[in-house]
Amino acid sequence: MINKQTKIAVQCRSIVKTYGSGASEVFALRGVDLDLYEGELLMLVGPSGCGKTTFISIVTALLKADSGVCEVLGQDINALTLEQKVLFRRQSIGFVFQAFNLLPALTAQENVAVPLLIQGRNRKAAMHEAKAVLDSVGLGERIGALPSELSGGQQQRVAIARALVHRPKLIVCDEPTSSLDHKSGQMVMQLLRHIADQSNTTLLVVTHDNRIYHFGDRMAHMDDGRIIKTEMIQEKKETSE
Amino acid sequence: MYQIAIKMLMGDRAKYVGLLLGIAFTAFLVTFALSYFAGFMTRGFALISENSSADVWVMDPAVSSTEMTINMPSSALGRIRSVKGVNYAVPMSLSDITARFPNGHFQTFQMIGVDDATLAGAPVLTDGRLPEVLHTPYSVIVDPGGTSDKLQTPKAPRDQWPFDGAHLDVPTRGLAFGDELLVNDHRVIVAGRSQTIPRFPPRPLLYTTFSNTMRLLPSESRRLTFVLAKAQKGISPHQLAKRIQQQTGLRARTTADFKEETVRWYLINSEDVGDMAAMLILAMTVGFGVTGVMLYMFTYENLKQYAVFKAMGASASMLMGMIFIQASVSAFLGTGLGIGACAIIGESVRMTLDYPFRMMWFTPLFGVLGVLIVSLSAAAISARPVLKLEPGAVFSGR
Repeated sequence: MINKQTKIAVQCRSIVKTYGSGASEVFALRGVDLDLYEGELLMLVGPSGCGKTTFISIVTALLKADSGVCEVLGQDINALTLEQKVLFRRQSIGFVFQAFNLLPALTAQENVAVPLLIQGRNRKAAMHEAKAVLDSVGLGERIGALPSELSGGQQQRVAIARALVHRPKLIVCDEPTSSLDHKSGQMVMQLLRHIADQSNTTLLVVTHDNRIYHFGDRMAHMDDGRIIKTEMIQEKKETSE
Repeated sequence: MYQIAIKMLMGDRAKYVGLLLGIAFTAFLVTFALSYFAGFMTRGFALISENSSADVWVMDPAVSSTEMTINMPSSALGRIRSVKGVNYAVPMSLSDITARFPNGHFQTFQMIGVDDATLAGAPVLTDGRLPEVLHTPYSVIVDPGGTSDKLQTPKAPRDQWPFDGAHLDVPTRGLAFGDELLVNDHRVIVAGRSQTIPRFPPRPLLYTTFSNTMRLLPSESRRLTFVLAKAQKGISPHQLAKRIQQQTGLRARTTADFKEETVRWYLINSEDVGDMAAMLILAMTVGFGVTGVMLYMFTYENLKQYAVFKAMGASASMLMGMIFIQASVSAFLGTGLGIGACAIIGESVRMTLDYPFRMMWFTPLFGVLGVLIVSLSAAAISARPVLKLEPGAVFSGR
C-alpha cells in the first residue's frame, strides 16, 4: 500500500535512449519519468515496441541511458562503473523472465541456488537456502526435478524463487505470465503479489496480459517511448478479490 | 559456479557426446599420426636396434645414417680393435644386390654381411634353426624386411631354373629352407627365414657372413660398412666412441647417438618423410579444426544461458572461468578417450597387420598438449561473444 511515508525505490527522470545513429537512429525512450515505491507492484503496460524492455534494461543496469537520471535503490545507475553495475545487479536485483530462462541441465534447487553461487556463497549453504525458498513457493517436493519435468507454472515459480533467493530489493518481471495458461498465470501473480506485500520488495512487472492488471498497485502506460499515464488500480484489485 | 559449468557441459548429452567424440577423434588423430611417424622412424634405425649389444658404431666420416653408406678399407677393423678400451669389434657390410628367383623373377635385397666368427648381427630364425647355418658357404637367411609377398619361388620343380626361358606367371610359394637364388651368377642357398624389425623404406633383406659377401659381390677393396665395437668394463660408450674417433679418424657413435643421427638424416633427406609429415600436418589441422569449431559452437549455443548469468551479476572473470573449465574438462576427457582408443587400435593393427605404429612417451604427450592448446584457444575465442554479450538479450523481444 502506497502512502505519503512510502520511500521511493526507483526514480527516473527524462530518460532518453536511442539505437543506431544518423538516418537510422531510432528513439526507444523519449524522456521517461517514473517513480516506483518500496513494496509496490507496478504494472508497466503498452504496445510492442513502445520501449518497455529498454526501460527495464536501464533500470536494472543492463543498458546505459543516453541522458536523464535514474536512481535505483539510492544508486545513480548511470554513474556506476561496469563492475559496480555487475555488483549492483548481483546484490539488489531479481529477474523473472517470460521464457523462464532456467538452466535445463540443473535441478530446480540448483537453478534457484545460482544467484547465491554467483555471490560466492558455498554450495551447501546456497542449496539449503534454495530449498527453503522453493518450499515457500510451494515447490518443496520438486527440488530435484529438472525444468523439463515441470509444468510451465511450476517453472515460473522456480524462476520466481530464483529471483527471491538472494533477497533483492527490486524484482523485475518481464511478461511473467505470457507463456502460461490463465490458471497458472493467476497463481504466479498471486505469488508475486504476496512477495510485494510480505517482504517490502518492489516489483516492476512488464505485461500485455490485461487479466493480471488487478494484481498491481499502480499501472504505468507507456507509448512511443514515454510514460503517458500512471493510475492507481487499488479498486480493481479489491474488485477481483 | 564451476560445478554449474560442468553440469551445463554434461547436461545436454547429445552435444556433450558430440564434443567429446570430436576431441577424442582429434587426440586419436594426432597421437596416431605421431605414433605412425615414430613407427617409421623406428624402422629407419632397425639395423641399429637389432644390434643392441654393440656400444659403438664406427663408420666412414661422411656417413651419418644406416641408409646412405660408403665402405671403409678392411684395415679399419684392425685399427679399431687396437684402440684401448675396445672389448671386441666385429665387421658388418651393407650392400644392395639383385637376386634372381628360380622362375626368372628378380628382386633387390639389402645384403647384410655379419662377422663370420661370432655371427654378431645375424637374426633369429623363425623355424628354430640357429644362425650357425650361415657357416655353410653360399648360405643366406632371407627376411621380408617389412615387405609382403616379395620372397616367392615357384611351387612346381619344373618351373625352377627352366631351360625354356622364364616361367613368370606360375604358382608360387614363400621361400623356405633349401631354396635357391642367383646372386651375381652365384647360386646361394636359403638356410632359413627370419622376421626382424621391418625396414623403412621396406625392402627384403639377405643375411650372410662377411666372407660370403666377398664371394658374392664383385671384387672391391672396400667392403666394410660398419664396425660394431663393445666397450670393456669401466669404459662408457661415449668415452670409447671419442677414443676411436680420435685414434682412427673414423666416425664413431654410441648406439643411442647413431639412432638419433639416423632419424635426423631421414628428417632432412628423405622425401618420403616430407610427404608423410605433410599428410600428418593436414590430418592434424583437420582434427584441430573440428575440435575448435565444436567447442566454439558449444559455447555459442549456450549464449542465452550466459546472458542469464550476466544479468544476474556474474562477472566477466567468472564467465571466463566457466568457459575454460568446460573446455578443460572436455579436453581432458576427450583426450583420454582418444589416446586410449589410439593405444588399443594402434597396438591391434601393429600386431595383426605389422603396421608401423609405435606409441612412444612423447606421442600421447603431444596429443594432450595439442588438444589442450586448441581447446583453450577455442575457449578464448568463444569467450569473446560471451563477454560482448548484451545481458539485456535475456528479455523478451531482444
